[in-house]
Amino acid sequence: MVGWAFLAPNLVLMIGFLFVPIVLAVQLSFQETRGFGDPQWVGLANYRTMVEDPDFWRSLANTILFTAVTVPIELAAGLGLAVLMNSALPARGLLRTLLVLPMVVSGVASAMIAVILFYESNGLVNKVLETLGLDRVGWQSEGAPAMVSVILVAIWLRLGFNMVIYLAGLQSIEPELYEAARIDGASRWQQLRSITVPLLGPSTFFLLIMNVIASFQVFDVIFVMTGGGPSGATSVLVTYAYRNGFQIREQGYGAALGIVILLITLVFTFVQWRTSRTRDLAG
Amino acid sequence: MVSTRRIAGVAAVAALTTAVAGCAGFTGGGGGGGDASDDTLTFTTWASESEQAAFEDLVAQFEEESGATVELNVVPYEQMFTNIDAQLGSGDAPDVFRVDYGNLGVYSSQEQLLDLSSYFSQDEVDAFTPAMWEAVSYDGAPYGVPHQTDVSALLVNLDMLEAAGIDTSTLPTTQDDAWTWDEFAEVATQLRSSLPAEQYPFVVNWQQGGVLRWLSWLFQAGGTLMDEDGAPQIDSAEGAAALDFTRSFYDQQWVPPASTPTGTVYADSLFSEQTTAMAFVGSFLVPDLDYFNEFEWTALPMPRDERGATDLGGNALVATADAANPDLAAEFLRFMASEDAMSSFCGATNELPTLTALEGDAVEFAIRPDLMPVFVDQATTIEPDDVRQLTSPAIAEIGVAMSTELEAAFVQGQSTEDTLANLSAAISDATGQ
Repeated sequence: MVGWAFLAPNLVLMIGFLFVPIVLAVQLSFQETRGFGDPQWVGLANYRTMVEDPDFWRSLANTILFTAVTVPIELAAGLGLAVLMNSALPARGLLRTLLVLPMVVSGVASAMIAVILFYESNGLVNKVLETLGLDRVGWQSEGAPAMVSVILVAIWLRLGFNMVIYLAGLQSIEPELYEAARIDGASRWQQLRSITVPLLGPSTFFLLIMNVIASFQVFDVIFVMTGGGPSGATSVLVTYAYRNGFQIREQGYGAALGIVILLITLVFTFVQWRTSRTRDLAG
Repeated sequence: MVSTRRIAGVAAVAALTTAVAGCAGFTGGGGGGGDASDDTLTFTTWASESEQAAFEDLVAQFEEESGATVELNVVPYEQMFTNIDAQLGSGDAPDVFRVDYGNLGVYSSQEQLLDLSSYFSQDEVDAFTPAMWEAVSYDGAPYGVPHQTDVSALLVNLDMLEAAGIDTSTLPTTQDDAWTWDEFAEVATQLRSSLPAEQYPFVVNWQQGGVLRWLSWLFQAGGTLMDEDGAPQIDSAEGAAALDFTRSFYDQQWVPPASTPTGTVYADSLFSEQTTAMAFVGSFLVPDLDYFNEFEWTALPMPRDERGATDLGGNALVATADAANPDLAAEFLRFMASEDAMSSFCGATNELPTLTALEGDAVEFAIRPDLMPVFVDQATTIEPDDVRQLTSPAIAEIGVAMSTELEAAFVQGQSTEDTLANLSAAISDATGQ
């Protein structure tokens, strides 16, 4: 009873703001509606449309590409920075703060800064490239550079979070282990590979899931920086769902896309959870 | 068509998750009651700085005259219709809101708006430009008042033109001497050869919600988008001419490559920062440009081919079907569309009136009045048949397809034939014809 009492506030919030909306979204995904007026029940039509929709597949492929590139870099760079910040570095506190700062700034505000940097006609990045005698890059008119720009910004935004989690993990590793390894003649690289990385397993597992979910749900950075363009080159599942639900007013189709994003995320989390259970217990 | 207000994207996206403050929920129906709460109207709009000041003045004036209270709620343009849609869906919409003519058709065809037939006498209806009254009507009934209109013209940076060796004393000023497509192409070619690679001859304002402005080129070529039943007419020689000419803007590098229909960089920004020497821009942006531009600039008529044409910008004011006090809402609309109110609003915001009495030089424009005759003159190129097509309830959906198809044609190498065929299919889908 006491347990339930403690649980109740969270449970009420989760039911109200999570489970009920999910059920309503499922219901919406079986309808054709603009969000107002009379909705029409269309069964699985929205899902059938999705299977035949090249823009959906393109957005899915872009999402997978975005995830496959951002997640390993975020993990590796987060770990590298955490190791660096864990060592006796001058002005360590200041550097840590600088790295974590993007985390506390709104994603939209950060993306606005990125827009100024990557603005094609006279943004800072192109100006610097020009000064260095290099060609200007079509950040807003060419697909590949546009994708690179959103990936760079997404990594910059998430790096601090990865570093903080790894830093916490690093500080829980006994210094005696490194001392013993050094006595045995292990190099710094061997110490990193054989002590740090394995003992950070639970942190890596947690970060892997968090980063993959965040990458699958990326919205703000892309919406503000490229709006999914040029020509759909940076369209990902959530921006595509938003476009359908709110810009084209096909709310049923938008909801169906949302449900697919939910299912993909759930499946991935489940697979990760099953395959990484032992590592989860290792810490 | 949408007169896109350039409001910081920050606010727009932040607002995706933020409910509109100050929109008191009106759930009651019925009207004409006399109790105190019925003396309050909620009015939601987006507005530029000059528009907001004009709206505030007029609201205060209406409150004084009627004794009613109007809760004015100004929201960023980007979140306007997402919010209105959600509020209509939950029965929580404002009593009165501002809407562009394209979106108006979506709402009126879904029975979301108050039918104003019984609130306006024939004399009052006749005071409006017929095409504009048509723009707020659906199935013969009016669902709003045409509050202002807005057309695009061609703004030019005089310094950049002179630097390219173009004699600015011979620039066209009226519809009669407007450049033909060929003459316009010559100017663009001359500019291209003199400008450095990172600067461009011009930019067209067909980004995002402005995609329907491409129809100006179709109409100039003498083409039609769809007939009165909604059957597609675009797959024609005129359609091909318009598409080929506008595609050449990208092929010839006359426009910045990022300024495509799905691009996020707007024409007025590129013009202000002198990335382009000329820009197709609506008059509503003149106050902003006057503030930002640090060079000599003027406005010219749009080029013409078979005929002159421009886009139908501007907005209507509408009352929702569930307005708590429909009589008061209608009274407010009548007030806002009255001669005095419209004259002061248009004068302060460089927008064009929709009342025949205010046509010509009846409105005193506050900012750059020297440019406004070009826009007023340009507005005369809008034909009733253009309005019919631009205000079809299906136009919003067609615009979405047009954005994708034009992008494919302009920068992805899709053929004219395929593009016109795809556009025809999209029109059929949207209109059911």
